[in-house]
Amino acid sequence: MTDIEIINMILHGNRDKFRLLVEKYQSMVFRTCMGFLHDKDDADDLTQEIFIQIYQSLNSFKGDSAFSTWVYRIAINASLNIVRKNSRIPVLNRIGSFFDSAKGREESIPAFDTEDPESILIGTEKSKWIQEALDTIPENQRTAIILSKYDNHSQQEIAEIMKITEGAVESLIQRAKANLKVKLSTAYKKM
Amino acid sequence: MCQKESDNYREGKLSGDLRIQVESHLQQCIECAGIYSIELLADSIINQEKEVSPAKDLTDRIMDRIESLEERGNVISNPFIRILQPALIISSVAAAIFFGVMIGNIYKPAGTVYSRPVELSLIDDAAIESVNMLSNE
Repeated sequence: MTDIEIINMILHGNRDKFRLLVEKYQSMVFRTCMGFLHDKDDADDLTQEIFIQIYQSLNSFKGDSAFSTWVYRIAINASLNIVRKNSRIPVLNRIGSFFDSAKGREESIPAFDTEDPESILIGTEKSKWIQEALDTIPENQRTAIILSKYDNHSQQEIAEIMKITEGAVESLIQRAKANLKVKLSTAYKKM
Repeated sequence: MCQKESDNYREGKLSGDLRIQVESHLQQCIECAGIYSIELLADSIINQEKEVSPAKDLTDRIMDRIESLEERGNVISNPFIRILQPALIISSVAAAIFFGVMIGNIYKPAGTVYSRPVELSLIDDAAIESVNMLSNE
């Protein structure tokens, strides 16, 4: 059964068929959310909100692009909205929420669990710097690099999702890599 | 050169002499080796995040939310209604203000009703000569 057939069934009242779309696309949406948020629980919650949004606006899907492309656009917009909202949270609140979620972050990135506590601490600190470096590159560069690195999309697919040319995607990815390199070098020199 | 080629080296795109040159440079230059190691760490963080799976009950949670939304009457929304709804609210508020002002103007308290003196009502406006006519005389 194609996505269009499933959508038509949902729009004709067969709500349970939406489960098929959720099962098919939830990993894809979740991965994109992880790329933007770096936290499993936040990515779970956002994935849920994105699918509610998809369900509520299903009748506005015209089929001009693939359904997955449409889903990606909704997921990226929703993720960027959350990122923008988080960036407006006052600094003190962010420090508080950082300490609250520190445990969760360690659980979601279990890279240093075989090392001593000092290495774990340094490793967690490094991870934080790297995530911050990823988070501070401009939105469109970040979107392109997330679609490329997290979802292994080709430049053509990214161009379609972002509604830009392939050349623009290549340029965005190159600039994102250059920006990331500068930020990671700065982080390394601070260590 | 090392900084420029490190991405290609990391992604396994270099071969031959260039690859050997980058490798030997990384063995000698502490700074480039450090930056290279942190770039590797960045790659590994991305790979780890890619491996994280969504909650097992996520599909059920989503379907439950949709069911409860439907029970509350929040069904698939028509885009026209989504756009029209705020417009209707704004026009309703504007209409309420307009009629409020209209009704307020119609109402006049009994004490403040202006009554024209009888003398004034006897004056025939049509009979008053214009100032221009008087000035010509």
